[in-house]
Amino acid sequence: MATISTPNGFKLDNSGRRVVVDPVTRIEGHLRVEVNVDPKNVIQNAVSSGTMWRGIEVILKGRDPRDAWAFTERICGVCTGTHALTSVRAVENALKIKIPENANSIRNIMQLTLQVHDHLVHFYHLHALDWVDVISALKADPKATSALAQSISPWPMSSPGYFRDLQMRLTRFVESGQLGLFKNGYWGHPAYKLPPEANLMAVAHYLEALDFQREIVKIHAIYGGKNPHPNWLVGGVPCAINVDGTGAVGAVNMERLDYVTHVINRTVDFIDQVYVPDLLAIASFYKDWLYGGGLSSQSVMAYGDIPDRANDMSPANLMLPSGVIINGDLGRVHEVDLSDPQQIREFVDHSWYKYPNGMESLHPYEGITDPDFRLGPATKGSKTDIEQLDESAKYSFIKAPRWRGHAVEVGPLARWIIGYAQNKPEFKEPVEATLKKLDLPVPALFSTLGRTAARALECQWAVYKLRYFQNKLMANIRSGDIATANTEKWEPSSWPKDVKGVGFSEAPRGALAHWVHIQDGKIGNYQAVVPTTWNGSPRDPKGNIGAFEAALLNTPMADPAQPLEILRTLHSFDPCLACSTHVMSEDGQEMTAVTVR
Amino acid sequence: MPEPQETFYDVIRRQGITRRSFMKFCSLTAASMGLGPTFAARIAHAMETKPRIPVLWMHGLECTCCSESFIRSAHPLVKDVILSMISLDYDDTLMAAAGHQAEACLEETRRKYKGHYLLAVEGNPPLNEDGMYCITAGKPFVNTLREVAADAQAVIAWGTCASWGCVQAARPNPTQAVPIDKVIFDKPIVKVPGCPPIAEVMTAVITYLVTFGELPALDRQRRPKMFYSQRIHDKCYRRAHFDAGQFVESWDDEAAREGFCLYKMGCKGPTTYNACSTVRWNNGVSYPIQSGHPCLGCAEDDFWDKGSFYDRLTTIQPLGIEGTANEIGGYAAAGVGGAVVAHAAISAIKRARKSDDDDRKQD
Amino acid sequence: MTSQAETTAEGLGSAHTIPRRSVYVYEAPLRLWHWVNAACIVVLAVTGYLIASPPPSVMGQASDHFIMGDIRFVHFAAAYIFGIGFLGRIYWAIVGNEHARQIFYVPFWSRSYWGGVAHEIGWYLFLKKKPRVYVGHNPLAHLAMFFLYTVMAVFMIMTGGAMYAEGTGLGSWQDRVFGWFGALFGNPQNLHTWHHMGMWVIVIFVIIHVYVAIREDIMSRQSMVSTMISGERMFKDGGQ
Repeated sequence: MATISTPNGFKLDNSGRRVVVDPVTRIEGHLRVEVNVDPKNVIQNAVSSGTMWRGIEVILKGRDPRDAWAFTERICGVCTGTHALTSVRAVENALKIKIPENANSIRNIMQLTLQVHDHLVHFYHLHALDWVDVISALKADPKATSALAQSISPWPMSSPGYFRDLQMRLTRFVESGQLGLFKNGYWGHPAYKLPPEANLMAVAHYLEALDFQREIVKIHAIYGGKNPHPNWLVGGVPCAINVDGTGAVGAVNMERLDYVTHVINRTVDFIDQVYVPDLLAIASFYKDWLYGGGLSSQSVMAYGDIPDRANDMSPANLMLPSGVIINGDLGRVHEVDLSDPQQIREFVDHSWYKYPNGMESLHPYEGITDPDFRLGPATKGSKTDIEQLDESAKYSFIKAPRWRGHAVEVGPLARWIIGYAQNKPEFKEPVEATLKKLDLPVPALFSTLGRTAARALECQWAVYKLRYFQNKLMANIRSGDIATANTEKWEPSSWPKDVKGVGFSEAPRGALAHWVHIQDGKIGNYQAVVPTTWNGSPRDPKGNIGAFEAALLNTPMADPAQPLEILRTLHSFDPCLACSTHVMSEDGQEMTAVTVR
Repeated sequence: MPEPQETFYDVIRRQGITRRSFMKFCSLTAASMGLGPTFAARIAHAMETKPRIPVLWMHGLECTCCSESFIRSAHPLVKDVILSMISLDYDDTLMAAAGHQAEACLEETRRKYKGHYLLAVEGNPPLNEDGMYCITAGKPFVNTLREVAADAQAVIAWGTCASWGCVQAARPNPTQAVPIDKVIFDKPIVKVPGCPPIAEVMTAVITYLVTFGELPALDRQRRPKMFYSQRIHDKCYRRAHFDAGQFVESWDDEAAREGFCLYKMGCKGPTTYNACSTVRWNNGVSYPIQSGHPCLGCAEDDFWDKGSFYDRLTTIQPLGIEGTANEIGGYAAAGVGGAVVAHAAISAIKRARKSDDDDRKQD
Repeated sequence: MTSQAETTAEGLGSAHTIPRRSVYVYEAPLRLWHWVNAACIVVLAVTGYLIASPPPSVMGQASDHFIMGDIRFVHFAAAYIFGIGFLGRIYWAIVGNEHARQIFYVPFWSRSYWGGVAHEIGWYLFLKKKPRVYVGHNPLAHLAMFFLYTVMAVFMIMTGGAMYAEGTGLGSWQDRVFGWFGALFGNPQNLHTWHHMGMWVIVIFVIIHVYVAIREDIMSRQSMVSTMISGERMFKDGGQ
């Protein structure tokens, strides 16, 4: 193939050298990426392939809809809880169940806790090593590091002695010859731009964040019993409230509420004083590395989330913005209707699934998935030892969802662009302030760096919203309302024979929705379209490429054998492969009799 | 690079930890494993003389909840585990390297520490489609898993996926996902089930292996006895309400607000072996029952296929009929009872006729 | 065919050599065991049912009540009596008379035995006019006793013991005796379910057993219910 232009405006050329990255590490699940680079080592073609499939929705068929949250929660343990929330919302939408105000606040606290935790862990433990050179930190001057840290933040752990001790521990660790997780990293790569002091500070915060992230999720433990995988309930939340009555120790009481408030306060400090200053400090050294924008400057989408009042999922009541921007027209934000069969449709031409004859695409309510693992004729290697994929044929376990035919990007950057386009001060002001601090123009937002920065801003936004909902919960309890569950429609005998519902949320990685069809008290069909399905989608029949592939294009690589730049851009999406490779077949039985060629 | 011959103790001393804190760590470790104070000395001795152990952590079909749980460990902190206790040479969720460089890490440890590294498996291999429902580096995960296991000293099965199969193996198990002991036969395997397992349970299994140089004592299902020998129900703080006959009957009812037993809401605590009610979650903050939700039984084999999580009685499907033991047994008993009544009626009629006949004969 | 010839053919008892109206069949320990066992089964079934489906919740302090505790205690106490009784019953099968052994085996290779089973089935289906005379259990009852009582009793003792061992803990004698059996079931939920199903099988057995005993008392040629009280089997037509 020579150069071809995709309908969504990208030029692809697969004539150059092919570079394969498999496994892509520091993500959830299994992802493979192949790129072609031109003689100047600039990426001209990108192929992203989801390489795992579990079939959770096949398994859901025939189950009790009240149990579905537990199954879907196990789609992903990193964004733990968000699938469960989306699932209970879908079931409640189908059965028209109203939840109490307290349940809404607690659910929002759970979801925001996840946003904060997930963004923090993503930045430090999955993404930072794309920007931070651990070995360079050994050369830092602890005094200068301390000065740097104190110049950007009042965070108390910033003395020269603190950094010296840490550097010593790090030096000895490296000298032991057993680098463990840091072994074979891309240390010394020219794409690392931080001075040794910034690297040392970042490594210190990598370890501090590893210690601190445990604290945040204690909120899940209090309201949901454990983390990962806290518990949820159709009709409300499982934890009862009893602040000061008989037996209050057996429920959410004053001590439990205090505990949550305490964790929120500490988290606010950590985000304000560590995460956000680090992000700004690191970003200031990468201002000229503005690759990886991909679809973000064209087409982005969000469903919205965090309902202020219970039982109202209209955009006006949602604190996270919803809408679609296409072809870069920030002046017009389209509304998303998840039930409209014309809007969201999934294609499988390049996915390892097949549709019955004559079906090109399907709305999730009618979703079919029949696995069809076939490699294209240009594949190099064999079926069980793939050296190079053939992107002209099927090449991924991820389907290709499209909004009115458009490939879109979802995630924190998409949400913040939409909030910005809608002129919502909560989103517009922090974006502008950040750009100003970094002395960058608005288009700089549409980049790998922009994606990473939006995540930090959202983390900060979320931690203050945590406080808002905790206060709201307390105020409501004080007004005498302690209800946490609505059991009117708990018994399946109270349900209609045949109903459909859709639930949606904003997972840390982007827009998430579940569609459920309930028949005779059981799940008749279940479909989830998740953020990484949107971002990591393969091509559609028209040739539109997805967000991962688009973002990798035109990025220069210093050394194609050391794919640091690829990792950096892919990680900025926070890929979650266990989520994206979901499917549902009309007849679950077929799935067990897969034809092996 | 020098061969890492130094011991765990050397490492932590070299990294600036005092002997005093080292001893404190040893006694805390002993306590957290439920061992007496004399064991603290044994742990210290073990740590002073045994070299650090390389660990390869592989991911199959899973959701990464085990890794997420692992990094929640409060004692020891996971930072200390990965920097000072083990050498985590491969873990695709956390490692810096990717692609060929990551594969090289796996290869190097396999070669250099043949027979002396630990393999930790999160998730499980699917067997359908030649194993290609889970592909790493272009190859079926199951093949790589077998190869890496072949040179391992021992294997840890993290979580319910690796131990039992978990959600992807629930009916109808479209990918034919199997627990790792269905593909690894010749290595000692310790199962640490739970979806996910408790963080401190995970790190304690590692600390035990590192300090004693052997697998912990296992039960019949190869789970460490120290955490899996009692049911959640046995140590549940709501047990008094169970014995008293005090139950939550409906969500958010008065009983729920007083923290009564969740048995009638389908709690699987009485049939689930795990340390939730003792170690608890997230540094002892809570566990599912404490926060008002019944136990799902996530550490047990096949817990997804036992009917609704909210049913007390297991749903079974003998001969394609779906119901609980009471439904099926009750109908069967009613059927037999009906047959008995009918039989009695016919017997009575026959007898009446016969005595009529006899009367007639006598006449 | 005379009943004399029949009893000879069946080789059961000695009624044909010295014709008489009654035979001493069930010795005292066996009769005592039967009724104690029957009481145990009733108690075990009722309390077992309540353990799986507890009575309505009570409010107040936990320390003021012990409802589930009592139900479980009664279940366990009855289970011990049932289990020890079963051991005693095995002992009596060894030292007692030949009738005491009947429920522990099926004469699988005996043609005449299966012929007897066929005849009894015919009798219950109203196809045969007259039942045969037996001193012990008739062949069909013998079969039912073995599979629905003896085998089920062993199954319930093993599954129940395994569940009890879950409470007494690893290493306890209950665990050593029964734990291996429980482990065969994998998830303990399966063990509970099988034990629960076993209860229903025994309930069905009891229904049939009681009905047939009463019916045969009335319609067959020998006594039933009173035999288990006095030990004497009466032959209504003198065994002729």
